[in-house]
Amino acid sequence: MADVEERQGLLDDEDDVSFSGRRSATGPGRPMWAICDPSHLLHRIVVLMFMCFLGFGSYFCYDNPASLQTQVIQDMKLNTADFMQLYAWYSWPNVILCFLGGFLIDRVFGIRFGTIFFSLFVCVGQIIFALGAFVNRFWLMEVGRFVFGIGGESLAVAQNTYAVNWFKGKELNLVFGLQLSMARLGSTVNMNIMGWVYNQVASLVGSSGYITLGASLMIAGLTCLFSLICALVLAFLDKRAEKILNKEQGRTGEVIKLTDVKDFPFPLWLIFIICVGYYVAIFPFIGLGQVFFIEKFNFSPAEARAINSIVYIISAPASPVLGFMVDKTGKNVIWVICAVVTTLAAHMMLAFTFWNPWIAMSLLGVSYSLLACALWPMVAFVVPEHQLGTAYGFMQSIQNLGLALIAMAAGAILDSRGYLFLEVFFSACVCIALIAVVMLYFVDYLRGGDLNLSAAARAKLQKENTSDSENKRRTNKLTEGELARLKPMSAFGLRNRYLSRLGAQLPDHCSTHLSSLAHRSVLK
Amino acid sequence: MAASRIPGRRLSVFLCLLQLACSCCGALLGGADTHRRKLSAELNPGWNSSDPPPPPGVALLHVRALGDNDTLHFLFCSQGAPTLLLVHTNTTNSTVKVDWPGFLARNTTGSLQVEPQSSVLYSSALLFSRLWEYDDVNDTADPQALPPSSFLPPLELQNFSWTGLDAAAPTAQLCASPGLANSSLCLQFSVFESEGRDPMWPRLLHNDNSSQLRVWLDKLTPRANHSRFSLELQAVGGAYPLDRVEVLRSIDDEYTPSIFKVSQWVASPANSSEVLGFVQWKPVAYRQADAVLEVATPCRHSTPGPVGGAAAASGLVRAFYGPEPPARGLNISFGMAGAPLYNTTRFLSWTLLVGVGSPPVDSFSLLVLVIMAVGLGTPMILLLVGGVCVLTRKRAGPQGLGYEPIN
Repeated sequence: MADVEERQGLLDDEDDVSFSGRRSATGPGRPMWAICDPSHLLHRIVVLMFMCFLGFGSYFCYDNPASLQTQVIQDMKLNTADFMQLYAWYSWPNVILCFLGGFLIDRVFGIRFGTIFFSLFVCVGQIIFALGAFVNRFWLMEVGRFVFGIGGESLAVAQNTYAVNWFKGKELNLVFGLQLSMARLGSTVNMNIMGWVYNQVASLVGSSGYITLGASLMIAGLTCLFSLICALVLAFLDKRAEKILNKEQGRTGEVIKLTDVKDFPFPLWLIFIICVGYYVAIFPFIGLGQVFFIEKFNFSPAEARAINSIVYIISAPASPVLGFMVDKTGKNVIWVICAVVTTLAAHMMLAFTFWNPWIAMSLLGVSYSLLACALWPMVAFVVPEHQLGTAYGFMQSIQNLGLALIAMAAGAILDSRGYLFLEVFFSACVCIALIAVVMLYFVDYLRGGDLNLSAAARAKLQKENTSDSENKRRTNKLTEGELARLKPMSAFGLRNRYLSRLGAQLPDHCSTHLSSLAHRSVLK
Repeated sequence: MAASRIPGRRLSVFLCLLQLACSCCGALLGGADTHRRKLSAELNPGWNSSDPPPPPGVALLHVRALGDNDTLHFLFCSQGAPTLLLVHTNTTNSTVKVDWPGFLARNTTGSLQVEPQSSVLYSSALLFSRLWEYDDVNDTADPQALPPSSFLPPLELQNFSWTGLDAAAPTAQLCASPGLANSSLCLQFSVFESEGRDPMWPRLLHNDNSSQLRVWLDKLTPRANHSRFSLELQAVGGAYPLDRVEVLRSIDDEYTPSIFKVSQWVASPANSSEVLGFVQWKPVAYRQADAVLEVATPCRHSTPGPVGGAAAASGLVRAFYGPEPPARGLNISFGMAGAPLYNTTRFLSWTLLVGVGSPPVDSFSLLVLVIMAVGLGTPMILLLVGGVCVLTRKRAGPQGLGYEPIN
């Protein structure tokens, strides 16, 4: 325990502890400013700023095509199917990288170089993307999105690893929350500002066209450059802190074993289906949303961009509230059913009515946040802890596969059959998710699983299990796995759990599976 | 790029197959609309074939659409401005009689008649009178808001020499060259036996009471840097002329992607909602011959108002309605603020329906209904079956308390 306290001293705000640390590190007679002192809160706030802006560029630029949909289509003379390739190409590398990101950071690059490396990819990808527009070569834009995709998701992993490394302790929840808000801010700002940027550039250049588009995307690329600078500064500060405080480099601790896949239980596969069926009806829809609102609801482009970003805006405040609610009540399956049904209703509203789309989009925003809070933690209930990393990696991998395929399909459907059919198609995807979640409910019920227990029942069961766990361990080999299923409740809960592990028992590099919660799909 | 299109194509093949299956089911279950008309076409009715052909530029196509107890006469003529005259009679043996000397002289009222005259229920003529070209410097695409100085002298369609009309098929085509030799302004006229859709976008739903006109303007050299075009239509009616334009919103854009409106210019008796005749279009034009989503450009119409000169412009109107029939006109302007100019592709096509009775109304395709029914039905059935399963298990439950560990 003494060891733990020493470790946590690093995080303590109280001056006396950090003072002694500082003394020993820098030698007597040369006191540092608080802002330069790695153990001081003020310094860590500075670090936090850089950390938040580290992901800003990638979130800002991810939805660039959506915010400039009409302009991209018009200037590059595309059809919608080609346009959606920009999203598909982003997803393709991540079908594999979801497994590899953690490994690359831990074993190959290290957190500092890895972060710089991935930021570089994001930055170069965006520059290639803009260059493609600049020289009117669409294939170059696709290459740009591919390179951007290689960096984007893994950068989110790196960002969270940094956060754990600097803030393990009581501030971490807040830090994750801030990063989340920053991510949403990036997406929202992008949605609402890029049209204006394009118009400004157009009035400077004198006409709209691919040159204007390229220049606007280049300007958007500045955010990536900014993020790259943040990565460099963070690397420097981290290195410096390591020297001064003798601390270890951060690790994701992600363990992926592909052979685990054959042991995945049936409910987990159902969860995968829900995940794919649900998310493919959200992200490609947002990618195509702007023109939909202009064409169907006669919105002005600015209004259309605003309503298209409402999902992100709503989920910022709704996520913590709903997360807390799901934590307190349990009954995850019921919550997932609610989220899926609400989303289905929202999509059907958009498809079959002229009702004010703010209603449907707000519903979509709320249900989307609710699903994220209720669905992702369920994975931890059905697989044993040592397989969690693989399960999350796999889930995100097939999610990206689904996103890539459905993005292409959505573009083709829109081109040939229009928005009604597209919305019907998205509704059908959500229906598949609904079928899977209804099956999950019954499968869980018949198997006597604990997915749908209330929080109170869960706590009670956990108590019983711990009290006679000795007894059970003899009779049932799976008890440990079952125990693991009972503990976690939410993404934040999971993070907390690993956190307590980090602080209390385990060495730093064993912060298992933390990063698997850190991909864009969860953050968003 | 080429590779990227393949999934889309595959998908559409799949969708087509699915739809084929669905429509087969539909045909088996409900049975298609059996209302049909028998079509017969004749070029220059009453012209003595032994005589020399009529002067160049004059051709009159008569299509007779024979129903069970009524007849529709479609007359499409290129003397002067291209004109479509539609006459609805309540007998199956009404005929068109043309007094050719008077018709060619364009000074005799009644030189074209539908007999017996008492059988005429409704008649209406639609003529394409002018093509306006304006210099849209500020990119507003709103001809009504522009000063007269931005307008270039209009192209008077009655002055063109129209060629190409024949009676080969239920589809006829009339073309003229408004500018240089390779430029063309064409009208394609189609009449239908029964309900259906043209394979080409905007794929308007037509019935046996309507005919379709597709107008396109190809390779015309614009006379200004920011040229946009608008087309003037004039309608002449008998007792009930076309008067107001209704714009209906439709959630169904399956056949005309991204277009959620349909405009119809209708003729109805005063104080009645009954529609006698209509001109219907979707507010979209296409900037390439191969009409696809990315070349769609919106269009809008002006409010119809009284105009003069219809009889002077069109030989058919003069012959059927007389020297001064009241006429109403409106302009269809192509493009919208920010939409590409004509110059980018030098092509514009626009399609409209002209017919009697109520305009056809789009409905959901069977494919959409089937997908929604399966999508919503399956979870419901699953819930039901699952619920029953759980209930029976619960009822059978109390006897055994489940499995006990063996040791």
